[in-house]
Amino acid sequence: MKEFRFRIIIVALSVLFGLYLLYPTFADYNNNRNIADQLAAYKDSVKQASPAISDDELGKLVIIKEELIKEADPSIAKDREKRVKLGLDLQGGMYLVMEVNTAKLIERVAKDPDKAFKDYLAQAEQESKRSELNVVNILAEKLKQNGIRLNRYFGTIRQEEAEIIAELEEQEKDAVSRAIEIIRNRVDQYGVSEPTIQKQGSRRIIVELPGIAREEEAKQLLQGRALLEFKLVKETEFTYPVMYRVDEVLARVLNPSDTVAVKDSTSEADTSAANLTDEEFAKKHPFFYLARPIEQSQYADAYVKESDKNKLMNYLNLPQVKDAIPDNVEFVLTAKAEIMGEGQKYHILYMVNKKPELTGGVIVDALANLDPSTGAPIVTMQMDTEGSRDWARITGANVGKRCAIVLDGLLYTAPVIRGKIPTGNSQIEGMADLNEAKLLEIVLKAGALPAPIDIIEERTVGPSLGQDSINAGVSSTLLALLLVTIFMIFYYKKAGTVADFALLFTIIFIMGILAGFQATLTLPGIAGMILTIGMAVDANVIIYERIREELSTGKTVKAAIESGFLNSYSAIFDSNITTFFTGIILYQFGSGPVQGFALTLMIGILASLFSALFITRLIFDMMASKGAKLNIG
Amino acid sequence: MRIFENLNVDFIAKKKTAYIISTTLFIIGLVSLFVNGLQLGIDFKGGTEVALQFEKPINIGDVRDYLIKAGIGNTEVKTFGGETGVLVRTDMQEIPAVVFSRVLIPIEDEIRKGFPEVTFRRVDSTSASVTYEFPMPEVTNEVTTYLESKGFQSGRVSQEAENLQMIVRVGITDWIEEIIREKLPDNSFSFLKEDNVGPKIGQELKRDAIIAVLLALLVILIYLGFRFKFIFALGAVLALFHDVFITLGMFALLHKFIPWLNLEISVNVVAAFLTLVGYSINDTVIVFDRIREYLKIHKTAELKDNINRGINRTMSRTIITSGTTMLVVAVLLIFGGDVLRSFAFALTFGILIGTYSSIFVASTFVYEYATKYKKKIQF
Repeated sequence: MKEFRFRIIIVALSVLFGLYLLYPTFADYNNNRNIADQLAAYKDSVKQASPAISDDELGKLVIIKEELIKEADPSIAKDREKRVKLGLDLQGGMYLVMEVNTAKLIERVAKDPDKAFKDYLAQAEQESKRSELNVVNILAEKLKQNGIRLNRYFGTIRQEEAEIIAELEEQEKDAVSRAIEIIRNRVDQYGVSEPTIQKQGSRRIIVELPGIAREEEAKQLLQGRALLEFKLVKETEFTYPVMYRVDEVLARVLNPSDTVAVKDSTSEADTSAANLTDEEFAKKHPFFYLARPIEQSQYADAYVKESDKNKLMNYLNLPQVKDAIPDNVEFVLTAKAEIMGEGQKYHILYMVNKKPELTGGVIVDALANLDPSTGAPIVTMQMDTEGSRDWARITGANVGKRCAIVLDGLLYTAPVIRGKIPTGNSQIEGMADLNEAKLLEIVLKAGALPAPIDIIEERTVGPSLGQDSINAGVSSTLLALLLVTIFMIFYYKKAGTVADFALLFTIIFIMGILAGFQATLTLPGIAGMILTIGMAVDANVIIYERIREELSTGKTVKAAIESGFLNSYSAIFDSNITTFFTGIILYQFGSGPVQGFALTLMIGILASLFSALFITRLIFDMMASKGAKLNIG
Repeated sequence: MRIFENLNVDFIAKKKTAYIISTTLFIIGLVSLFVNGLQLGIDFKGGTEVALQFEKPINIGDVRDYLIKAGIGNTEVKTFGGETGVLVRTDMQEIPAVVFSRVLIPIEDEIRKGFPEVTFRRVDSTSASVTYEFPMPEVTNEVTTYLESKGFQSGRVSQEAENLQMIVRVGITDWIEEIIREKLPDNSFSFLKEDNVGPKIGQELKRDAIIAVLLALLVILIYLGFRFKFIFALGAVLALFHDVFITLGMFALLHKFIPWLNLEISVNVVAAFLTLVGYSINDTVIVFDRIREYLKIHKTAELKDNINRGINRTMSRTIITSGTTMLVVAVLLIFGGDVLRSFAFALTFGILIGTYSSIFVASTFVYEYATKYKKKIQF
């Protein structure tokens, strides 16, 4: 056995590694069932305790309870992170391809477009559907042919054609960035788990929203103009008392039986709570536990861990808590989490006036730049006449206060007003780098210039169809596995059993690698796996047939195995490499589900090669060295 | 147990039969492609597809009548899953201009029903949405919520407090659902899936699919030309083309006669074709590999004998692997569900024809070439 030790260790390690990679998927499945059971029990108990509770309120309590369960056991989130992910076609969800409608964008930025212009634009739009050129170029060409100069509608008199075209194309690019920011912002707030939002080419956006089945809701996410607001941040003296009240109410709501906690928090406005353990503090001051103000700071800004964000928002949405907050103010979180101190990501919670001082419609233009004198990143913004007048009044009356820039309910920055701004030409400082400034530019423009977006492809799979597909896939896989296994034993006897083991390991490897690579399992992916089951035995069949031939020429068992494997290599490699190539091409040209198929096919080829050439070989060699009779049917 | 032990068939001598079979299949395919054409799925053609799950069993014919009467032309309606599932497909991507105003009637009726004294006006409409304006922001909010509760897809144009406008989406899917909801008020439904593919995407997907298949053939040609001889590579690729074309012809022949198979060309089916390419080349390469081996060992033997020996000795492997693979794709065909059926069919038929071609077509081509040009093939 000594000669095989090294190979046995390799096989054992790889199988264990495969199982290790797969374990989270299994654990996640169990966790989900556990959580569902616990929530159902919790729901019943709440209903029994207070039968009058409304569905809406119950729903909110259940969400909070779910967060609590998940928080109590950090392994739940970890397992979920590492599970085999299911594609949209299996778990249900929405897939959208959107494209900026350049024609509409051009029409919006054109200076007094006339009938002729609109006609040319419509023609250009039609042509662009069949051409590789974009609308901007086709339109420019058309106008040129008809003797109209581009600067009749765009830019300034002195600008060259090429310059205007470049500017229009820049506008198009801007519109895509704006749309992506708006969509990301809304999707984040909506709490879609694991969304993907990516840019494809220069003007396309692909959005994947897993688990969103109610299409109306998803549409609301994506439709409509973004709302940009300027809101004054409340003073510290105002904010702290509200925070204490919220903390107190929340403690009472969350621990209805525990009246001591309430007394405690009212008597002493001490949030440092040095004498409390972490757990006690969380119980007695649930709000301050999640949202921690900085003690020495002049502001009442509270820091919220990114992982606590949803929980805090759920708390703030409870009706009792809402009652504790004055009507004219609200809490808003920053849109982007920042990394602080120990590498944790934090959002900042601000309290602002509910009524905005201004809304984004007044902004004419915004530009990110580097300050010529200091080199610091700045954003300049320009308002229209009416906006400028209001802005002068607002800034004049609130010098020294902070004005929050809020897009769709999320805060981007809250600069201090230094002095009255009479011209409507404002400058915002304090960004960390030019990227951050660029983001603010996008945000400021988002309220003013809605990006006209068309949905050009849309696929929605309801959760029940996804579940049906999973069931059909799983039962087909098992049946296929069973049939192939039986056939191999029937035809190759003992050697067939060895091949079946190799097949089992192959499947463990495929699933393990899928999980390890964070790849997505799709319905065609399952089909790919089933196909792999059929083809995976191929390498074994080639080898077995060859060994049979070698045996029939009168070789010893050991020699037959040796030359059987040796002579099969070229056939196995050549055939699998060509198949692997088609897998690569499929992956390159396919979209979502098809890519999943290509991936399982390629992983399947590698895994089955390893099983056949390494594991089967090892078992055969071990059998031969023991002097066992080789039984290949 | 062994099959084909000491098999000794002169496959090259049977090339006439093979020519007749292949040519016949080829012609059938070609004629079917011309006469019947392929049924392109909405992936390539652009269009809309909705699958709905009803509470109670439903009559497909009735649904088709409702939709056609309402003006949805070129509709295909069939069962999906069981007798409570319906799949509606149309190549329309948006509501045609002539019926657009008719589609708005139920929306406006609903507003009048819920808010009899409110005045409103249509301010804008695109091919997929309509925008209304109301006198006061509060009214706009109320109407929006009301319409949403009635199943319409309505939303406020802006989140600003003084917003007066409401947008209602009137896509094809909304229209279809609206018609069915109106005609079958006591059989409620939930949606299973909704696909909407624009014409541009369809064009692009079609282009990508063709490029992918051609590129696969090219890569195989180069790799095999490098590993074997160019003529072997050409024979293999020819056999692949043969397989793909005849399978495509089978799709054209059968899609009208066996609707159960759902034989339309979708992105998934293209993936199946590429898999078929990969599988069939697998088979061919293994036969070629053995021929290459014999050509090295029996340098003086006739090419014909070496080829025959190669095919004969790999026959059991060819049949066993094709058998196990056929077994699993047949499982997929029967139990894999509606979504995968055409995918599984392409593979089932493709493996059959691929096995045939790697025995009869690829090697025969090499032989014909060598005899015609009196070439001696050596490795």
